[in-house]
Amino acid sequence: MNYDNIEILFAEDSLDDAMLTIRALTKSGFTNKLLHVKDGAEALDFIYCRGVYAERNPNSHPKLFLLDLKMPKVSGMQVLEKIKGDPDFKSIPVVILTSSQEDPDIAKCYDLGANSYIVKPVDSNNFFNAIKEMGMYWMILSQPSL
Amino acid sequence: MSSKAKKGKEPITSGEKTSLYTKENRAENLQLSIAKKEIIYQNTEKEKRASELVLANEELAFQSDEKEKRAAELIIANKELAFQNKEKQKRADELYVLNEQLRAKEQQLQNHINAIAVSNASIEFDLEGYILTANQNFLKIMGYAKKDLIGKHHSLFVDKEYAKSAAYKQFWTTLKKGVYQKDEFQRVTKKGKSVWLLGSYNPILDISGNPYKILKLATDVTLAKRQFLQLATEAVEKEKRASELVIAVKELAFQNKEKEKRAAELIIANKELEFQNEQKEKRASELVIAVKELAFQNEEKEKRAAELIIANKELEFQNNQKEDRASELVIAVKELAFQNEEKEKRAAELIIANKELEFQNKQKEKRAIELVTAHKELAHQSREKEKRAAELIIANKKLALENIQKEKRKAEKEKSAAALIVTNRELAYQEKRGKELTLANNELKKAQEELGAFSYSVSHDLRAPIRAINGYTQILVEDHADSIDEDGKKVLQAVIHNSRKMGLLIDDLLAFSKLGRKQVSASAINMDALVNGVINDIVFDADAKTPLFDLQALAPSNGDPSLIKQVWINLISNAIKYSQYKPEIRIKITSAVQKDKIVYCVQDYGAGFDMEYYDKLFGVFQRLHSQEEFDGTGIGLAIVQKIVSRHHGAVWAESKLDTGSSFYFSLPNIQH
Repeated sequence: MNYDNIEILFAEDSLDDAMLTIRALTKSGFTNKLLHVKDGAEALDFIYCRGVYAERNPNSHPKLFLLDLKMPKVSGMQVLEKIKGDPDFKSIPVVILTSSQEDPDIAKCYDLGANSYIVKPVDSNNFFNAIKEMGMYWMILSQPSL
Repeated sequence: MSSKAKKGKEPITSGEKTSLYTKENRAENLQLSIAKKEIIYQNTEKEKRASELVLANEELAFQSDEKEKRAAELIIANKELAFQNKEKQKRADELYVLNEQLRAKEQQLQNHINAIAVSNASIEFDLEGYILTANQNFLKIMGYAKKDLIGKHHSLFVDKEYAKSAAYKQFWTTLKKGVYQKDEFQRVTKKGKSVWLLGSYNPILDISGNPYKILKLATDVTLAKRQFLQLATEAVEKEKRASELVIAVKELAFQNKEKEKRAAELIIANKELEFQNEQKEKRASELVIAVKELAFQNEEKEKRAAELIIANKELEFQNNQKEDRASELVIAVKELAFQNEEKEKRAAELIIANKELEFQNKQKEKRAIELVTAHKELAHQSREKEKRAAELIIANKKLALENIQKEKRKAEKEKSAAALIVTNRELAYQEKRGKELTLANNELKKAQEELGAFSYSVSHDLRAPIRAINGYTQILVEDHADSIDEDGKKVLQAVIHNSRKMGLLIDDLLAFSKLGRKQVSASAINMDALVNGVINDIVFDADAKTPLFDLQALAPSNGDPSLIKQVWINLISNAIKYSQYKPEIRIKITSAVQKDKIVYCVQDYGAGFDMEYYDKLFGVFQRLHSQEEFDGTGIGLAIVQKIVSRHHGAVWAESKLDTGSSFYFSLPNIQH
């Protein structure tokens, strides 16, 4: 598989959530090249071109990183801390996905440099709209700061 | 001559008799015979008389001679008398002159007496001292009436002791001898007052020079005497005083010297004090500034202290929470390791699963249905657990307070599922050891806290599968509508509706759980503004009744404004919700400042609740009304209680079914 020119990196351990999120983005018309990784470790492998991603073009950065917080091995928080602390990657816009508005980690994420966050709503309609708006903003309206 | 007179008289008498007899003719003849005899008798008598008259003539002639002799003697006697008369006249003239002289002297004497009587008091005694008379002056001085004094003894006027004395007897003995006595005499008036009389006792002598009475003349000198005595006393006093003054003057002279010395010292001391005063004023003004500064600092410190107290409690609580969380994390890490292994296994399974995709799709449909069931089961279990937790709290409290409840408790325990066996053992243990009840309660509290943390993570994790159920069902509705009949579509809508509801429940539970770990800030709250904001923010349905608020002035307080706002939102929206079937919605909001707390009250006139179930009122997911009657998740009041207890306050309620409810919450009165 060609991992070059990946525009959206999507780290999510829940296959159900991943499927619904990808569906919402696709239905909204975002046909950008998306890579779904199943945990934080894999996400970091991709960013740092390690493991299965060792061969990919290191100069190609994703335009958007959708990051779930609750993931096995390396949590979303750890991934966020790592890349926002790295001058090479801190300009990648990171949108946090969380199960609940009440998550005490949200504030921490902002401190670490997260650009936005989305609560995954139970109601799929709301979820769909949230994903659509998020994609619209970060993929079309926002210009990456380079 | 005398005989003639006799004759003349008789006829008149007989004439009268004749007239008498004429009236009676029978006696007339007798009368005439008597008269003839009478006349005869009278003739004889006349002859006798003529002879007598001759004798009388001879006598008379003799007497005439004698008378002539006597006349001659009388002439001589007359001459003698005339001489004597002249002598008498002379003597009478001399007596007249003497009389005139005497009268002048009497007049003069009377004038003197009058003068004496007017200006003096006078009284007269006999020689034994008994009172004969007294004048007005005397009576006035002594206060007696004249009649009371006449015949009384002089001793009436003197001191009783003196009256008995030998000196008094001697006094009268001297007077009797006719010795004049003059002095100031002390006498006693009728009213017992002492008076001083200046005067004299004058023995009055008869012609032979012997005294026969005593006249006392006197003047009242009491006033003068008193003044004199007073003056005498004063004179003595003055002499004494004068000698004292001499000493005093010497003393003063000495003191003056001392004072001069002291004055000189004082001048020096004053200068010293002046200097010190200036210094003190300077220091005082510095102190005023310092005091104000201190007062300001004190206020700041008090404020800070109050904040710190709350912050300390908060930190304490957080520390406990963090410790709990840390221990949870250890478990979670282990869990994660386990899950990782599971995931790896699953990945391997997924490879196989991919080959069997068609089969799995069918399986997924089956699984969706199973998930719904499982989901319901989970929700049920969650409720059961909450219920159980609440029951445990009540059971423990009841156990501590009343042993009578033990049997009831046992019955409840028997009803409980197998999971309660452990708790039963615990309870049995506690029954045996009442002393360790406090410890057990603390453990329970800890368990409560753990349960809170647990419910947070559970609700967090529960959300994901529900999201999946909802999402997949939505996909079926959107993408596979053609292959599902109308009944199937209804079922799918029910799945969507219930999963959404489950989501809301989890959100509320999460919010409630979060309260246990959220930091509580402390700042001044303008309760009036806050409540007005809440009322204005309440969104009403177009067809809903507009509530009528009776909003009294509310006391300000301290706390976390966002949390306290949530309390008001929950209480006010509850009041509205449970009044919705009444003709009008009236809500009264009041506050009362008490010694150590401020109590706020939201009162409605709605459906109310049965106080019998009061224990369940503030429990999580506890509802006293059916879902059909009043919509709700049963967490609003639990949140209220949690917030208020985080503020170290209390929540309670009073209600009457169908009449209305009053919900109270109190916050500490920090000002106090």
